[in-house]
Amino acid sequence: MDLIAQSIVIGLTEHGPLVLAAMGFALLYRLTGLINVAFAETVTLGAYIGMWINTTFGLTFWLAIWPAAIAAGLISVATYFAVFRPAKRRDVGMLEMIIMSFGLSIVLRYSLQFVFGYGFVYYDVPAQQGWRVFDVGVSRIKSVSLVIVVVLALVLFWFIQKTEMGQKIRALASDEKLAQVSGINPLAVTVMVWFIAGVAGGLAGAFYGVGQGFKYTLGWDQFLFIMLVMLVGGAKNIRGVIIAGLGTGIVISALSLWLKDTQVATVILIALFMAYLKVRQRSLVEGKV
Amino acid sequence: MSTDWLSSALVFGLFEVVMYIGMGFLLHMQLGLAGIGNFGVVGFWGLGMYAYGIIYGGHAPSGTDLIIDIPWPFGDPWQAIASVILATLVAGLGGLLIGWIISGMDLDGQLVGTFGFAAIVFLLARSQKGLTGSEGGIGGLDFPYDIGSEKANAMLWLLVASAIVIAIGYYTWRVHRSPYGRLLIATGQNEPLARSLGKPSNLTKLWMFTVTSAGMGLLGAMFAVIVHFLTPLKLGVDVTLAVIVALILGGAARVWGPVIGVLLTVGLFEIVVQLYAPFPDSWYRQAMPVVKQIIYGMSLIVVLMYRPLGILGDMRRDKLMRSIHGD
Repeated sequence: MDLIAQSIVIGLTEHGPLVLAAMGFALLYRLTGLINVAFAETVTLGAYIGMWINTTFGLTFWLAIWPAAIAAGLISVATYFAVFRPAKRRDVGMLEMIIMSFGLSIVLRYSLQFVFGYGFVYYDVPAQQGWRVFDVGVSRIKSVSLVIVVVLALVLFWFIQKTEMGQKIRALASDEKLAQVSGINPLAVTVMVWFIAGVAGGLAGAFYGVGQGFKYTLGWDQFLFIMLVMLVGGAKNIRGVIIAGLGTGIVISALSLWLKDTQVATVILIALFMAYLKVRQRSLVEGKV
Repeated sequence: MSTDWLSSALVFGLFEVVMYIGMGFLLHMQLGLAGIGNFGVVGFWGLGMYAYGIIYGGHAPSGTDLIIDIPWPFGDPWQAIASVILATLVAGLGGLLIGWIISGMDLDGQLVGTFGFAAIVFLLARSQKGLTGSEGGIGGLDFPYDIGSEKANAMLWLLVASAIVIAIGYYTWRVHRSPYGRLLIATGQNEPLARSLGKPSNLTKLWMFTVTSAGMGLLGAMFAVIVHFLTPLKLGVDVTLAVIVALILGGAARVWGPVIGVLLTVGLFEIVVQLYAPFPDSWYRQAMPVVKQIIYGMSLIVVLMYRPLGILGDMRRDKLMRSIHGD
């Protein structure tokens, strides 16, 4: 029983940002149908820019994350205009687009090394006091981060499902030509989606980065799980992504506590995800779903 | 004939060029012919590399044995040859498993399956102290012969690797001209159509993926011998990146594509820049590897945007068909 309670606490506080990142990634995937590998670097950028604002201008973490998120959103839009929009206009195939996004991911990741250095960097945050919940130490910054992640996830969910802009996004994702005929400006909506995805990724990066050292591989290290959560949760189902994200955090914490080895726990979870995707694919082929 | 001009660093650089050409041939069959996006090349290569180290009887740096200790009834070179063969089979089994998982899946599934496999191999290499030596790695993997100096041994190993890569290249060339290869190309270009004509597209792709993954494992095992020492740091994404960049740059649809691509990328950086460019020593430690990766990444974007078929362009048969029938 203790294991379950502790897994929930650790899973939510340590892996909460995964939900936010996976939602941003899913939004992008839903609109473009593209697995954008460079999204990993949006996460890293959010962490780095937040750290830079925090340490250079002396802003607290809570103030630094917002300009960092906006900057990550703008960079996400810039990658759309610099790479993905021209590629779409040139009718580049989907496999080639994924490879291009892989290339972009590499360019951004290694360029960050020139800007922010090769080693670990840290946010300048005061020594953390916290609470013990089910015998697990939880810092105040992680607790507040979790609350913000939950609120932002709910706002994003509400935005996509309930607002007029969300309706436009879903319409454009379903049928671009029909959406255009209906008076939706595809460019404006597309730019909005790339921006929101970047903001979500950037915020997730800042929450991942705070309270520990991080380096240029931060987003890349999380990317496989972001992708798996999105695919398992169902790219067209934001609610599914939230549940899969939360579930992933809790399960990996439970496995880590049980096995006392985070890396083996990660291996098992990746294998479980792959097995699930295979079973689902076979069910689809056999018409069971 | 004097070989004084061949430094040990140059021999190693040439080995890397040869190895990447072999990997390029194999990825060419997966990506260029069958249209399978393998983003986990390093996983199959790394599995072969580590399998060799474990099976051959490598040991942790402290000198302690690993869990698996095969009592070989014979010594080198047969021990090394048997280990290379077994490592190739292990990588082939990995390819069979992942090939089965991603069969019938779309590009997203292929990306997750191959990428996830590479992550699993990396994590196991880093965490299983008794099996892989974890961060400390596996040592004690010397050449299976001694013909004098370290450089002479490395040169002979380079020749062996070259012979293997020539054989892989010949196999690739034969595949292009065989009914099996035509089926692969048809499957890669339009799988539903190939299946509707009664062709066993899934089985054909699965077999090809298994064989080519085994080939990647074979080259990983060859690499294990020349580096003598394995650590998880060798399982970075840069291996996958180098093979993909070379293939895309040279031309994914052409047999000679990987050769041209590797010469222009790995050859340029690992030999020309690394050994002959007049840059300060400090650049080589941190800046140069980073610049290399940035240039590789940019090459992928630029080539796919402006010349998606790479330097060599489309397949000859497609060119011929277009000249006959028009676009």
